[in-house]
Amino acid sequence: MSEKNPRPDHGVRTDDAERPGTGPDEASGSGTGPSESGSWSSKPEVDGKRAAVPSLGLRGTLLFLWRQLTSMQTALVLLMLLAVAAIPGSLYPQRSVNPALTEQFLEENGRWGEVLDALGFFEVFSSPWFSAIYLLLFISLIGCIVPRVGVHLRQLRAKPPRTPSRLTRFTGYTRLELPGAQADSLIETAHRSLRRSRYRAEVREEKAGRSVSAERGLLRETGNLLFHIALVGVLVCNAGGTLTSYRGQVTVVEGGGFANSLTQYDSFESGAWFDENDMPDFRFTLEDFRATYVQPGEAGRVGEPRSFEADVQVTTPGQEQESRTLQVNKPLHVPGASMYLLGNGYAPEITVTDPEGTVVAEGPLITVPMGDINYTSQVVLKAPDAQPEQTAVVGFFLPTGTIDEQGPRSLYPDALDPQLALTVYQGDLGLDSGVPQNAYEVDLTTLTQVPGEDGDPVLIRLYPGQEYSLADGTTVSFDGLKRFAAFDIVHNPFERWILISALVAVGGLILSLFVPRRRLWVRVREQGGTTVLEVAGLARSDDPALADDVKALASRLSEVHDGQRLPDAAPSGHPEADASGGPREGSAQ
Amino acid sequence: MINQQLAELSNLAIVVTIVLYVLALIGFGADLSSSSQRRSDARLAAQERKEAQEREMSPASVGASGAEAEGATAVGGTAVAARPGAASAGSAGSGAGGSDSLAPGTAGTRTAGEAPAASGGMSAQRFAFLLASAATVLHLIGVITRALATQRVPWANMYEFATTSTAIVMVAFLAFSVRRTELRALGTFVVGPVLLVLLLAQTFWIVPAAELTPSLQNSHWIYIHIGVAVVATALSILGAVVASMQLFQAKHERVLAERAATEDFPEHWGRFGHVLDRLPSSSSLEALSFRIHSVAFVCWTFTLIFGAIWAREAWGRFWGWDPKEVWTFIIWVIYAAYLHARATGGFRGSRAAGLALAGFVAVVFNYTIVNTVINGLHSYSGLG
Ligand code: HEM
Repeated sequence: MSEKNPRPDHGVRTDDAERPGTGPDEASGSGTGPSESGSWSSKPEVDGKRAAVPSLGLRGTLLFLWRQLTSMQTALVLLMLLAVAAIPGSLYPQRSVNPALTEQFLEENGRWGEVLDALGFFEVFSSPWFSAIYLLLFISLIGCIVPRVGVHLRQLRAKPPRTPSRLTRFTGYTRLELPGAQADSLIETAHRSLRRSRYRAEVREEKAGRSVSAERGLLRETGNLLFHIALVGVLVCNAGGTLTSYRGQVTVVEGGGFANSLTQYDSFESGAWFDENDMPDFRFTLEDFRATYVQPGEAGRVGEPRSFEADVQVTTPGQEQESRTLQVNKPLHVPGASMYLLGNGYAPEITVTDPEGTVVAEGPLITVPMGDINYTSQVVLKAPDAQPEQTAVVGFFLPTGTIDEQGPRSLYPDALDPQLALTVYQGDLGLDSGVPQNAYEVDLTTLTQVPGEDGDPVLIRLYPGQEYSLADGTTVSFDGLKRFAAFDIVHNPFERWILISALVAVGGLILSLFVPRRRLWVRVREQGGTTVLEVAGLARSDDPALADDVKALASRLSEVHDGQRLPDAAPSGHPEADASGGPREGSAQ
Repeated sequence: MINQQLAELSNLAIVVTIVLYVLALIGFGADLSSSSQRRSDARLAAQERKEAQEREMSPASVGASGAEAEGATAVGGTAVAARPGAASAGSAGSGAGGSDSLAPGTAGTRTAGEAPAASGGMSAQRFAFLLASAATVLHLIGVITRALATQRVPWANMYEFATTSTAIVMVAFLAFSVRRTELRALGTFVVGPVLLVLLLAQTFWIVPAAELTPSLQNSHWIYIHIGVAVVATALSILGAVVASMQLFQAKHERVLAERAATEDFPEHWGRFGHVLDRLPSSSSLEALSFRIHSVAFVCWTFTLIFGAIWAREAWGRFWGWDPKEVWTFIIWVIYAAYLHARATGGFRGSRAAGLALAGFVAVVFNYTIVNTVINGLHSYSGLG
């Protein structure tokens, strides 16, 4: 199909039948030729003339480069480059997605990792080369659509182009001799029927007769332009979102609360234009967190999660306190922010007293799940106030625990047999060194392990309600168990606009792919004493139904105006001629 | 609650479906090889007629446009094949173009074309087509019983996604070729990949019927996003089949045209060439491929957008360059490049088809490697 209607790349997109002299057929010399060609005015031609000057000069060179950039081939190459450039973003661990994996990769790959890092392979989507590709693509896109918008607007207002002088080479060309038909009424019917099929149709007086020139499917180009403009919209709104959005993580233990202010976040990122004062004033307490898992004997993998639910009491300004349950796909939306349940774990209540009998740590301690399905979780408790030396308690929390040759581990994610496996260390925790420390990590190399009462190194195993005393008098007790939930609180003011742009883009896309664009011509001439009807069409897109539609129109017209039967029936109108005779809507099936 | 009996019924249905597809594939294969013989006969006859005709008169045609001539051939071909029992006469169809102008308006050629099929009873192709239809019905039953057993949509893990999308491939193929019988010759190339995917699913991806993990619960986007993705994948598979046939056909036509200058009965690629002779021309395959791919592209766009909306509800961000997101982006960009290539001088035709196939490679990668090897948030394959 496309072979029949080769569409030039749009850098030099020509509109064959529209511009005299370039069509497949030389249009008759009269009429609006020059002005139409002038109104096309597209830069390709203007630029073409300039670029053709032998020595280009700076201006010429720039114009030349610009034309290269906005040509379809360039867009094509950039698109493919974009696809290829995105691949490493899925093969190498991205910092923005999972920084821990990136660090691990760097450790394992030494020099090679450093090279990749320098080249931006761990931040592909913000790397200079990736950005360069898509920025060039969008510049090219803009350079390409701006002139097309102008041309299209003019085309929307213009009348359908004149009928080419010879129709023989167009699609579905049909020539019929209708001895008794009246030329004028034939043209009238053709005109009306085409209009009724939503063509823009125009009767043209010609030297030897009259013709109807009709066109439909301008919506195709409208859709195409909309699509491309909306893509720019997506990009721009995305940039706006990056600048103004924020995202923070909070961890809340059952019974605990949170109020939306910067100091309350575990971590927080925001765009350059983010204003702290825009953060909505809301607070909540976590009443209860529940999780269920696949139990032995149930369908599915034992231990796989089945549900996570967090009951919260939310207070927003001007509103009553409200009970809500957050689930994985059920976030909480308050004006100006959304809150998502994204993680959970256990918070055993641990009390530590130092050898002097002072309580140096007490209450629920957030443990870090190590990533296995059964929630083997890491415990790190720092007691900098302990006397005579600072104390750290490290080890594991196991919701359903066992300790075997593989070490302490959990066998099931639910707290069926919760226990702690701990070791106590003493020494300088390095908290005063000024180097910021991760609360969930401790450097054990400078610390010494506290032995058990018998003087041997000891792994303390504690069940809820138990207490353990070490040789120096330090005691550790496991008083109870709570769960914690981790929430992300985010806001992106541009989200809605990105969505709208994206939907406009698909809308435009659908129009530009499925609306057929075509021209149809009907010419009637008196020739040698008989009336000659010619009908032909030109597909401006994939349009398999065109030939059939042209023929259907021709045969309809000839039936209605067969001089023998209905010499002058046309003006009164023949509904059936329009109903079935107008070219079908010719959707690409 | 999982209904284990229904789940077993579903498994059984899928296994029997696989067996039926194997049989259908054998049928399509037999049809292809038998077409060789018929084809040479038909060709010979057509050649003789043509020579006779050339001696008698020069071709007369109503419309002068090339488009018309081509359209006439295509229409003629369809008309021949659309007769019941005449499916196997497709090969005669290509010869019929020549003879149509010899005896315009008569049904002579058609009857001639029908004869071999009628005398041979049910043709291999018809047999294969019916088997494939029956298999598809069973395939759908398997998918639906799985859905009933789990009381949810049948596309929550790799196994279910594979069985459902292949079912859609088959339904689409049958729908396309019920009317356009000449497309049935593509049967081997559709049932083959479908069978391959089903075997993979049955051996490597199968997981027992189970309830959903929390990240898939409580969201209507599971219907919308994955539903559209299933359709998009199915269309990509079909599109790739048509695009590769288009590439072979284009090459085949080129060689034949070259040889036609020197040989009376140009041959190329032996048996496979004979298969190609029965398929529509490369330009109508290209048009079909374009239509499939444009719908596929719209579906991928929706997959992307709906996925982003869901990601925002589930993970609090609409886009995070998770591997699945990256590869969907890649698929989308490659198909966009394909659509542009079709409108670009110098890239139209075979090169554009190459891009469509590149897009399909990305689809396959996204489905297999990204689901099983690369770790991401989308790890819902259900495999440990
Ligand atoms: C962000 C990258 C781009 C994407 C994803 C994209 C996507 C698309 C899609 C899906 C179509 C519809 C296919 C069709 O109608 O043939 C299309 C058409 C088109 N695009 Fe783009 N496009 C992009 C960039 C560009 C650029 C940079 C240009 C200009 C240099 C451009 C010019 C066109 C033109 C002229 C058409 C209409 C082709 C025709 O049917 O005649 N696009 N584009």
